[in-house]
Amino acid sequence: MTRDQIKDLILDIIADIDDEADFDTLKSDQPLRDQLDLDSMDFLDIVMELRKRHQLQIPEEDYPELASLDSCVNYLEPLLKDA
Amino acid sequence: MAVSLVVIGGGLSGLAAAIRFARFNPNVLILEQHSRSGGLNSYYFRNNRLFETGLHAITNFAPPTDKRAPLNRLLRQLKLKRDQFDFHEQLQSEIIFTDTASLCFSNQFELLKSEIESAFPSARTGFEQLLVLINGYDPFIPRSFVSARQVLIEHLDDQLLVDMLLCPLMFYGSSVANDMDLGQFVIMFRAIFQEGMFRPGGSIKDLLDLLLATYREYGGTIRLKTPVTRILRQGKKAIGVELGSGEIIPCDFVLSTIGYDETLALYDTPSPVHKEQQGRMGFMESIFELPVNSLPAGSHNRTIIFYNQGEHFLYQPPVDSVDFRSGVICFPSHFQGLTEPQTAEIRTTHLASYDQWRVLAQDREAYLKAKTAARDASRVTAEQIIGGFSHSLLFEDTFTPLTVERFTAKKEGAIYGRPDKIKDGVMGYENLFLAGTDQGFLGIIGSMLSGVSMVNQHILPKT
Repeated sequence: MTRDQIKDLILDIIADIDDEADFDTLKSDQPLRDQLDLDSMDFLDIVMELRKRHQLQIPEEDYPELASLDSCVNYLEPLLKDA
Repeated sequence: MAVSLVVIGGGLSGLAAAIRFARFNPNVLILEQHSRSGGLNSYYFRNNRLFETGLHAITNFAPPTDKRAPLNRLLRQLKLKRDQFDFHEQLQSEIIFTDTASLCFSNQFELLKSEIESAFPSARTGFEQLLVLINGYDPFIPRSFVSARQVLIEHLDDQLLVDMLLCPLMFYGSSVANDMDLGQFVIMFRAIFQEGMFRPGGSIKDLLDLLLATYREYGGTIRLKTPVTRILRQGKKAIGVELGSGEIIPCDFVLSTIGYDETLALYDTPSPVHKEQQGRMGFMESIFELPVNSLPAGSHNRTIIFYNQGEHFLYQPPVDSVDFRSGVICFPSHFQGLTEPQTAEIRTTHLASYDQWRVLAQDREAYLKAKTAARDASRVTAEQIIGGFSHSLLFEDTFTPLTVERFTAKKEGAIYGRPDKIKDGVMGYENLFLAGTDQGFLGIIGSMLSGVSMVNQHILPKT
């Protein structure tokens, strides 16, 4: 997957969690949680959806890597390079 | 066949937990001992009519825009849409301390504020400071017991106002006598006063059916009339459950929603880690069905009335079988926008003593007599407050703590469970956890969030 595809994947998962999420003003280097009014429970959905869609097992200690859109892409790029 | 997750108990916390898990892994099984799901919030039929067992109102109302509100978080977690539901907000509720004071409140918090200002003008600043404390308090940080009563009296300096504020919060969710932990108080204050009350348009059955349909769509399985008799363990792991039939179901995880002590009773060698410090709170609930035009004047524009007639408000297991000096009177048809039914209900709740009812039950006839007498006494008390309605009753029924225990298997029929909660849901085994009443979140939204959060915290990340 390219970086852009990974970005779209994350946004697609978030849209699935909250269909009213506003991506227009989203800053890719800022924490997703604050910007989208998500909490830690919603956050787990991103982890679980990545597992469901791409069989990715993300260990709990790596959850902070998914904080912002940019950090998501950085973390997932090597893991999804063949996806 | 082995299942990934066994959920013991098909009440609202169990259903929510199971739906949450099934969203990512359909290999989940709910085991419910009763012939119906819902647990404390179920239903039964009499005279071809459906009666709800526990529902007065659902707390934690929130508009769809408030994304962080418990109700909306819960719906997101279960992937349910607001428009799948038909929500109706309360009209207005009232706290009546007979011959002393009354306070009205609704889902507009300003009403309670202005009521307090006019009835307790000297507590105005104190109440505002209390709100600052409540709004800034994180009740989910683990800490030791802080007396809510103490904090309230320090802020408000008025025993009557303290009792009046505690009355609804205790009746709608306190497992502890006469006081509450400050964290629990904050949760309940938000749930009842700041967020507010609502109910589904149909009955609790519609809500349960919707949850069951959602669960089955994700591929989950539920078995009714299937009591679990043992949790099979090996070292620090649960390896499966044994059913009343002798059937053994191996599993990776067990989530029990039936209560802490009730879960321990499923071990071969029960070893309680958490000792119970004080008695459980029991309740008596009565239903009076009457033609809608026979509702007394005192019910007009009221959804729920919380009353106290005693000198002080005592929330504790009564010495007698029932304590009629305080209680709840609910009008389930009095929510905004409900189509007016032909018959309406008045429901009353009072504190009751499990032990006293247990003694009475040794003689079946005496028990039934006492039940009828208690219902009559409850009706007479309610009539003093809202006006007469005894002339036109179509149907009456009463649940004692023994009724609740029989149908829900809650120890001592204590609907809010043990006084001390197991907030982390940890039972001392690496794959066996507790959710629901004894984990600490109460009410329909609270217990469902309990199920969801225990699955999120302990199970999903490890599967």
